[in-house]
Amino acid sequence: MSKIVLVGSPNSGKSLLFNRLTGLQQKVANFPGITVDVASGKLAHAPDLELVDYPGTYSLQPISGEEQVAVAQFTASLDDPNVSQVLCVIDVTRLEKSLYFTLQVIRECARHGKPVIVIGNMIDVLHRHAIEFDTAGLAVALGAPLLPISARSGEGLDTLLETVRENAGRQDNSIDGNQWSDTPDVLLRGTAHQLARQFGPRGDILVRTQSRLDSFFLHTGTGGLIFFSIMFLLFQSIFTWSAPVMDAIEAGLGALSNWVVPALPHQIMRDFTADAIFSGIGAFLVFVPQIFVLTVIIGILEDSGYMARAALICHRPLRIFGLTGKSFIPMLSGVACAIPGIYAARSIDSPRKRLLTYLAIPLMPCSARLPVYTLLIAAFIPNTTALGGLIGLQGLAMFLTYFFGLFCGLLVTGLVSRMSEDRFTDVPFVLEMPPYRMPSWKPLLRNAWNRSKHFVTKAGAIILAVTVVIWILGYFPNYGASLGDSWLGTFGHIVEPLFAPLGLDWRYGVAIMTSFLAREVFVGTLGTMFGIEGAEENMVPLVDSIQVSGLSIASGVALLVFFAIALMCVSTMAILSRESRSNVLALKLFAAYGIAAYILAVLTYQLVSLLAS
Amino acid sequence: MTQSLWALRAGESARITGYDNALAESYRIRLMELGFHVNEEVTCVQSPSLGAPKVFRVSNTVFSLDDEVASHILVEPSA
Ligand SMILES: Nc1nc2c(ncn2[C@@H]2O[C@H](COP(=O)(O)OP(=O)(O)OP(=O)(O)O)[C@@H](O)[C@H]2O)c(=O)[nH]1
Ligand SMILES: [Mg+2]
Repeated sequence: MSKIVLVGSPNSGKSLLFNRLTGLQQKVANFPGITVDVASGKLAHAPDLELVDYPGTYSLQPISGEEQVAVAQFTASLDDPNVSQVLCVIDVTRLEKSLYFTLQVIRECARHGKPVIVIGNMIDVLHRHAIEFDTAGLAVALGAPLLPISARSGEGLDTLLETVRENAGRQDNSIDGNQWSDTPDVLLRGTAHQLARQFGPRGDILVRTQSRLDSFFLHTGTGGLIFFSIMFLLFQSIFTWSAPVMDAIEAGLGALSNWVVPALPHQIMRDFTADAIFSGIGAFLVFVPQIFVLTVIIGILEDSGYMARAALICHRPLRIFGLTGKSFIPMLSGVACAIPGIYAARSIDSPRKRLLTYLAIPLMPCSARLPVYTLLIAAFIPNTTALGGLIGLQGLAMFLTYFFGLFCGLLVTGLVSRMSEDRFTDVPFVLEMPPYRMPSWKPLLRNAWNRSKHFVTKAGAIILAVTVVIWILGYFPNYGASLGDSWLGTFGHIVEPLFAPLGLDWRYGVAIMTSFLAREVFVGTLGTMFGIEGAEENMVPLVDSIQVSGLSIASGVALLVFFAIALMCVSTMAILSRESRSNVLALKLFAAYGIAAYILAVLTYQLVSLLAS
Repeated sequence: MTQSLWALRAGESARITGYDNALAESYRIRLMELGFHVNEEVTCVQSPSLGAPKVFRVSNTVFSLDDEVASHILVEPSA
């Protein structure tokens, strides 16, 4: 099969073109550095040709280990006899940043005898501003064919396909010596600069709108106001838009389970289906709406160009903690759910800062912690108000617990970034500000759908497996008669001494251990332990039982601290392993945050006990 | 009079005269690849408050740089 390599500078529209030509659905967004993996697909109109989409780079001279990998992949493809040609995408509205890379690509291809087609993308923007573009002149100057196209409107794609087919069909691939074959980088840089001046649009007409909008969005007053309004809306929408769907999923699964389970022949099968399969599926399906909504909103922010502005606004405060402005959206998403946060961290160009962001995300107070916090705060914090009802003690406790998580996240990155200097994987803050664009809805929804599907298939399998194991431990050997006498209960009694320094008995121990699957499981397990059905829906009886069980406030606060820090979420671990391409990182974080959570919880317990006595 | 690019205020333009040695070679090259060549005219389009990265326009492309980079680029303000 003949392969076609697609390269170009970041945000020049490679992935949109790739999607157009292959009919696939690579993520497209108006933010440089979205594609991080090489993707390939067959051309829709020529299935014998395979197109390979590469991450964007500004040059073939890497400045980080990661760029080095991308560049190495590209150079390796030039030696691949199956690669029949290279398509190099340039953004005709921003020639300068594209041309140097293009010349480098033309040179390398000439050395390896691969034909190159330069693709002048975004020609629709020039048309809209009635700007002339001397395609033929630039093609001659570059010494390579140049095809003007618009990946958005589809203009020029037919010609492109034709040329690609011709190139692929040609037997003799050796191209005559190219004028750049022996030109060093320094000269190419100068040439790129000079060509950009000669052929690029004059003046600042293309960036005028962008600058006008920037003076609004980056202004101290209006910019700050808009920033906070967008963040507020984002949270509102995550919680209020997803809530009905989440409820519907729970209700639907419940109904299905009520319908299926009684029809099963054997009691063990009925118990297994109801408690392992259905609750296991429920444990991750309820988060799908949030992941979907959040992905759509992040997509809108990215595609409109606002994301780059938000990164700029948050850069300075985050830098104090060793992060970058590009860490902001991933961390913010982490406040709803760590999974979309981890996905969003892809576009952080500095590998070091991306790693630091991964460290912070699991500490963000995600929504799975909310039911646990609600239960504990209702049980331990008196429902009194201060300042004439203006401040509720419970609300204050909730706020402090949330803030504690954020604080821990920033503390960790601040400390870790200071402990280790790392020059090679770090990249300074240089961000190309993309133009403002109207988001295109279809790709946004499709991307959110793909992300949700990815989550369900990848994390789902693991969660289901763990649920089944925990169910077996809790069900046998006495067939679910009493959790206390099950293997899990026995184990709870064995590890009880571990929880004694927190003032917790074995029942809480078991609840904590099951919640390593997913935090909110804590509430359900504790309900089972106290013999209360449906504790997830109505916490009041459980709150009463906890109060009656004589647990001290010190234990309550210690539990809050524990849940704020510990990484108790199998889905996060699964996705983190995949995205960071390292199982070690997820396991390390799991161990480190587990131990830290335990130690801090013990200290908290001792301290509060001391103060309370 | 030479100053750093970071010292530019919104609306001011300057001509790049060089880079200081504190900037790693690879970043210097990357900046040139992006269009920040010596003798090139740069305009500071936005200078948000509280030390946020500033926004610069160079040959029809807009980049935002923070002081860790911009303070090492030397410029001569245009009249
Ligand atoms: N107006 C217009 N916009 C385009 C065109 N092609 C791409 N875009 C937009 O440009 C942005 C970037 O497109 P992508 O396809 O993600 O760019 P990319 O080159 O894959 O970017 P990276 O993966 O980050 O390197 C998106 O917002 C696209 O909608 C075009 O021909 N015209
Ligand atoms: Mg891409």
